[in-house]
Amino acid sequence: MWSFTIRRVLATLPTLLAVISLCYFLLHATPGGPFDSERQVSAAVLANLQAKYHLDLPLWQQYLLYLQGLLSGDLGASFRYADWSVNDLVAKALPVSLAIGGTAMLLSIFIGVTVGIVAALRQNSVVDHTVMLLGNIGSAFPSFVIGPVLIMVFAISLGWLPAGGWNNFAIQFMVLPVALLTFINVSTIGRVMRGSLIEVMHSNFIRTARAKGLPERIVVLRHALKPALLPVVSTLGPLTISSITSALVTETVFSLPGLGKLIVNGAGNRDYTLVLGLVVLVTVLAVTMNLLVDLAYALLDPKIRY
Amino acid sequence: MNPLTPSKNDGLVQGLSRLPDPGSPPRNLWADARTRFFRNKAAVISLVVLSTIILACAIGPLLLPHAFDTADWDAMSLGPSFKNAHFWGTDEAGRDLLVRCLVGGRISLMVGLMATFASVTVGIAWGAVAGFVGGKVDAFMMRIVDMMYAIPYLLIAILLVTILGREFYLVVITITVFSWMDMARIVRGQTLSLRSREYVEAAHSIGVPIHRIITTHIVPNLLGVVVIYTTVTVPGVILTESVLSFLGLGIQEPMTSWGVLIEDGTKVMEVSPWILLFPAAMLSITLYCFNFIGDGMRDALDPKDR
Amino acid sequence: MQLRFQLTAIAALTLSLAAPSLAAVIPAGTQLHATQTIIRNNGSEPETLDPAVAESVGANNITRDLFEGLTANDSDGKLVPGVAESWKQTNATTWVFKLRPNAKWSNGDPVTAEDFLFGIRRFVDPKTASTYAATFGSFLLNGKDIVAGKKPSSAIGVKVIDKLTLEVQTAFPVTFLPNLMVNNNLGPVHKASLEKNGKDWTKPGKLVSNGAYVLKDWQVNNRVVIEKNPQYWDAANVQLTKVTYLPIEDGYADVKLYESGENEWVYQLPPGTYEKYKVQYPKEIRNAPMLGLRYYSYQVQNPAFKDVRVRKALSMVLDRDILSQRVTADGQAPAYSVMVQGVDGADVTPYEWATWPMDKKVAEAKKLLLEAGVKPGSKFVFSYNTSEYHKKMAIFAASEWKSKLGLNIETESMEFKVLLKKRHDGDFQMARNGWISDYNDATSFLALIRCDSDQNNNFNCNRAAEDLINQGTQSSDPAKRRALLTQASKMIMDDYPIIPLVQYSLPRLVKAYVGGYSLQNSQDRFRSKDLFIIKH
Repeated sequence: MWSFTIRRVLATLPTLLAVISLCYFLLHATPGGPFDSERQVSAAVLANLQAKYHLDLPLWQQYLLYLQGLLSGDLGASFRYADWSVNDLVAKALPVSLAIGGTAMLLSIFIGVTVGIVAALRQNSVVDHTVMLLGNIGSAFPSFVIGPVLIMVFAISLGWLPAGGWNNFAIQFMVLPVALLTFINVSTIGRVMRGSLIEVMHSNFIRTARAKGLPERIVVLRHALKPALLPVVSTLGPLTISSITSALVTETVFSLPGLGKLIVNGAGNRDYTLVLGLVVLVTVLAVTMNLLVDLAYALLDPKIRY
Repeated sequence: MNPLTPSKNDGLVQGLSRLPDPGSPPRNLWADARTRFFRNKAAVISLVVLSTIILACAIGPLLLPHAFDTADWDAMSLGPSFKNAHFWGTDEAGRDLLVRCLVGGRISLMVGLMATFASVTVGIAWGAVAGFVGGKVDAFMMRIVDMMYAIPYLLIAILLVTILGREFYLVVITITVFSWMDMARIVRGQTLSLRSREYVEAAHSIGVPIHRIITTHIVPNLLGVVVIYTTVTVPGVILTESVLSFLGLGIQEPMTSWGVLIEDGTKVMEVSPWILLFPAAMLSITLYCFNFIGDGMRDALDPKDR
Repeated sequence: MQLRFQLTAIAALTLSLAAPSLAAVIPAGTQLHATQTIIRNNGSEPETLDPAVAESVGANNITRDLFEGLTANDSDGKLVPGVAESWKQTNATTWVFKLRPNAKWSNGDPVTAEDFLFGIRRFVDPKTASTYAATFGSFLLNGKDIVAGKKPSSAIGVKVIDKLTLEVQTAFPVTFLPNLMVNNNLGPVHKASLEKNGKDWTKPGKLVSNGAYVLKDWQVNNRVVIEKNPQYWDAANVQLTKVTYLPIEDGYADVKLYESGENEWVYQLPPGTYEKYKVQYPKEIRNAPMLGLRYYSYQVQNPAFKDVRVRKALSMVLDRDILSQRVTADGQAPAYSVMVQGVDGADVTPYEWATWPMDKKVAEAKKLLLEAGVKPGSKFVFSYNTSEYHKKMAIFAASEWKSKLGLNIETESMEFKVLLKKRHDGDFQMARNGWISDYNDATSFLALIRCDSDQNNNFNCNRAAEDLINQGTQSSDPAKRRALLTQASKMIMDDYPIIPLVQYSLPRLVKAYVGGYSLQNSQDRFRSKDLFIIKH
């Protein structure tokens, strides 16, 4: 297990390099530069700007300069947010996204698994269909509809919660965004859980457990759940990553200063260093999550060996 | 009791009596599945509803008096009514909402189905090979999956659109590029687990070639999870399309899709709620149908559900 | 000549001495609220708080509170003294500003002419790479050459006469120079703290400012908080003790925050909602015309639009009344000229067909198209950047050209930067465009249509008009200048390089208890020191 983990961590480095290089060249190939603006700048000023950020150097030279900085932990200076370094921006935005995304994931896992279990155990009954109907709201309605509806009801009509914004992890600003993300994630987790548990419940070893006379609760929770969770665990990796790094609609609708906003603003402004810095972060997160998921596989299914 | 005399409760006898009569044709998996599917009321209703929607989108616009792109500045944001034959009202440019919902449905459904089909195919192929072959190949293929997760899709989308143009098939390709990874991960996870099951080991030990093992044993057992995840992908794909349109990378005006209609509707939901309600209802009903049909198919195809 | 200058000088002096340089003008009998704070939306996250580099409206709103230039604009947009208590024009291209002795930086240091010299030199220095360096710098002597890198920044026409006296030399006669000096780009910078803190000098706790406020907190994409500067020379008249700026770009989210109480000043209402909010919040709705123009650019060199008759025809048939009343529906006035109402230095010269009935315009347009050989069904491409507002206008324009002239219009929406590149490269036929002027003078709008201008996206050039403009800007006779610029603008517009549509306005919601909000402020430049909270 440990050698597997270490091998994975080492394998991260080439992945990281490959992703950074790909994004680097893609960014520079995308039409439009960071300094194109409505107010056309004169050629002289543009030359100055490019010189200031080394954009006048040949591409490969800029690339090497960037990698050099990366090795010393310096993600560079942002173009769009000119007074801040990318390190600063990411350091401030990450906790916000982690708090919202992380909380939402924990809630989603709890609710989603419960929903899936209830529906699976009452397969094809009214309970099953009703539970699935409610659980799937998150995938039948776009997030940019659910969000404003939540705001209309809870922030404007009832006035219980703010319509958005962020104030140092104050709870009231977290409730609605977490609710929105939870709606969305619960639908995926719930459905996969249901399907997977139904399948497992029909396997031989479950029949054996029942034949042995074990109470249904033990059969489900101690014997069926573990293998049934495998596909669910598979979904957790991408879901967690997207909840943390790509919650763009949530962050826009609720005006949250998180990573999703930085990513899209960065891409839209061709802020090369900011986007690359975020790509580095997302890659590290993705690899970590996937590693954790793979380790969880091994825990859940003893026959999986690395 | 004479141990050599067969009795009703002898498991072996019962099992033997359930074997197919060697002289009769083999049991058809698909016929079984169809029977089981039709026992699922929610799935059947969904199938009917979905077919109706598809039919309406296909031929509805030909039967209705209004064109989908005729703006009428004297009839802006009208509520549903029978005069003027604006049965579902008009949008902010005075265009008939019913026709636009149907035309938009064509686009959303086509994009949804095509992109889902493409990404599912790629995902299954990728994940099954990775999970089954294992070792270095698995590691490499999954690293590529990690890489794909790390790249902000906005960047790729802008680049693809700007280089290749904004045709319909391009939207499909762009969405596919970012939708196959989930399926690959899930399939790989399931494959890893299945690979170590007894019947696979048995087949391998008697010398069945690998590609036969994959197609005969692994793939059919993946069907359940794949079917579920496919029906999870369709809503995701349709919603991704609306985000792309919002960014100016998807379907161009005056053509429309449910995502675009819903986004426009969200903005005016307090003043003209029908502009949101009708397309949102169409989308969510369609997606729910996909969900129930998906669950029904999964239940139907489960080889252990007797 | 001499006499005129003496008279101008006396007039300027008298004006500056007579105008009381007070902050918030509070009507008699108004009771103030106990807590003088406000939360307002700024429309975007500031790209920087460095006054030399600040480019966007949002960044400038904040630097206007943190810093003060030689002159300032009060809440009605009128010129008032800033750090300079008086100024006079000593010859056609020279101005002398006298600074007030009690102006201080937030750390207690006095504000001196040296600070302004440092600030302006830094602003035009190519190394600072300010995007406004050319716009404002070219007014100053040697500014253009310095920005182009041909001369060192020390060559700028600004001299320190003594600790409290600054002399500014312009490259040509600029009658409105005091108005230009309002801009914080041309303002002072505290050299010592800049050198000590390097890149971090604009951060809270490090930024030394000379305006009515100091920077208290700055959380990117969340809020900027400023607090009253006790060292400010006019602190006694500043009412608001704390201002929180929000960076919300989405108009709908902005209004939702307003409705739930998190926001007291909407930046701009989303399209089509003005009428609704006018009815719903009659005491809070504000809408004032701005010095800005919404227009469409023609790519005049593109074969599709080479013929002026085609350009004229398409411009004629757009019903700007329906556009402004129903489509955008936010109180903006139709525009038939490149100049907008309220701009100084030239007259608004609408097209003569502006007042014709629509039938007549359509008939004439059809005739023009026929003459130009453009048949119904011909295709034209219109490019715009993705935004609800621009989309609505594009749908309208396309439907007008289709229904009235039978043309086949393909609209393509794209991401903003992609549109910018297309416009810059001339890779378009018609493109959506817009302009908000940086200073109140006709030359700011002429830049959109004159030869060799960075702001001209239309690739048109009328040399005869260009000569008139040059003559006008070199002249020191205001009346003559006005006549020449007006004539030139009419000449160029008769070439139809652009389609003027509507004049910008800023519809927004501001709580009724916010005092000091004036509808005369045509550049939407408010200082927080002019605002106050009424008892509520």
